[in-house]
Amino acid sequence: MNLTSPRGIVEMDDRDLIACAQQGDRQAFTELVCRHQGSMVSLTYRMCGDLRLAEDAAQEAFVRIWQNLNSYKPKYAFRNWLYRIAANAALDSLRRERPTAELDTLSLADPGTTPEQSAEDNQRVAHVRRAIAQLSEPLRVVLILREYQELTYQEIADALDIPIGTVMSRLNTARVQLRHELLVLLEET
Amino acid sequence: MNPHVSELLAAYHDGELTSNRQHQVEKHLQDCPTCRAELEALEELSSLLKADSIPHQTPPERFAAQVQLRLPRASLSRTRQREGQPPRWILGAPLALIIVWAFLQAALKVTSFLLTADQVLGAALFGSWITTEGLFETIASLLLFNTILLIGTIILWSAWMALWLAWNRNQKESSIEGGVTWITSKS
Repeated sequence: MNLTSPRGIVEMDDRDLIACAQQGDRQAFTELVCRHQGSMVSLTYRMCGDLRLAEDAAQEAFVRIWQNLNSYKPKYAFRNWLYRIAANAALDSLRRERPTAELDTLSLADPGTTPEQSAEDNQRVAHVRRAIAQLSEPLRVVLILREYQELTYQEIADALDIPIGTVMSRLNTARVQLRHELLVLLEET
Repeated sequence: MNPHVSELLAAYHDGELTSNRQHQVEKHLQDCPTCRAELEALEELSSLLKADSIPHQTPPERFAAQVQLRLPRASLSRTRQREGQPPRWILGAPLALIIVWAFLQAALKVTSFLLTADQVLGAALFGSWITTEGLFETIASLLLFNTILLIGTIILWSAWMALWLAWNRNQKESSIEGGVTWITSKS
């Protein structure tokens, strides 16, 4: 159901788009998807370490969001709600495909770097991804929401429905474990 | 007492401290190489983590079209249908009344049977606990309650049907006025 014109949709803020989408307006929902795709895929990619899996999880998250839009309460930040659903979708995706999922081979080398430098950078990034992947799920989610999505402690607590003290302790544990895992790389810097 | 501010460093690094606490930590950092080193380690870890960029993603329009294709139409229809229904209690209340009415009908039949049996077979079968006067009173009050319930049920059903019809008419009008169309996304 389209309740608004395409031009109107682009000018609408999230709150209005959500209200339209809750009435069944798919165009409004599509605009929400376009607006939040980047951060959603970023989160699921950090969780999964594989772009194909990450985009699939993000799409699945958007389907869940569409199905549960009526249960969304505007008093909570929409972004936090999205992140919560995306994190769960990513974890489900990982559990389903863990036997076959592998961390992505790394992005193309920067044209300005030599092959040796590029290989070294790739090795470092692969090391970091492995270290993050080794964290337990609760630690990983909190770390990613803080380090990559740059949510505040309170926003993470709201998104995951856990106390702020738990956020802090999980973040601390995750960092300690990562520092231990990445000791060699950290000493190089 | 720990002279260091280790427990505050992560929150300081994340910008989560109040200005007072922040000031306290900054003051401490000026004189404490141990805490400074710990803070640097936190910053190095963050830099290392952020050095990993995300590969090129599917363009938003294409991604959104893929999402559209995955949206369950049936489930949305159910939602719309649910939204279109009046509150369940409107349907439930007359149903509950009908159930009570049916129960009373059954009770009435049983009571009538007991009365007939008592008259035919006499007190020998049921003893002295059944009295004809008592049973007549019971039947009379059951009949009265039964009638009230039946009338109430009919009124509620009529109100419900009127609401339902009015709502349906309203929905049809608004869907025509709003020019409702469904997007069929194709990638």
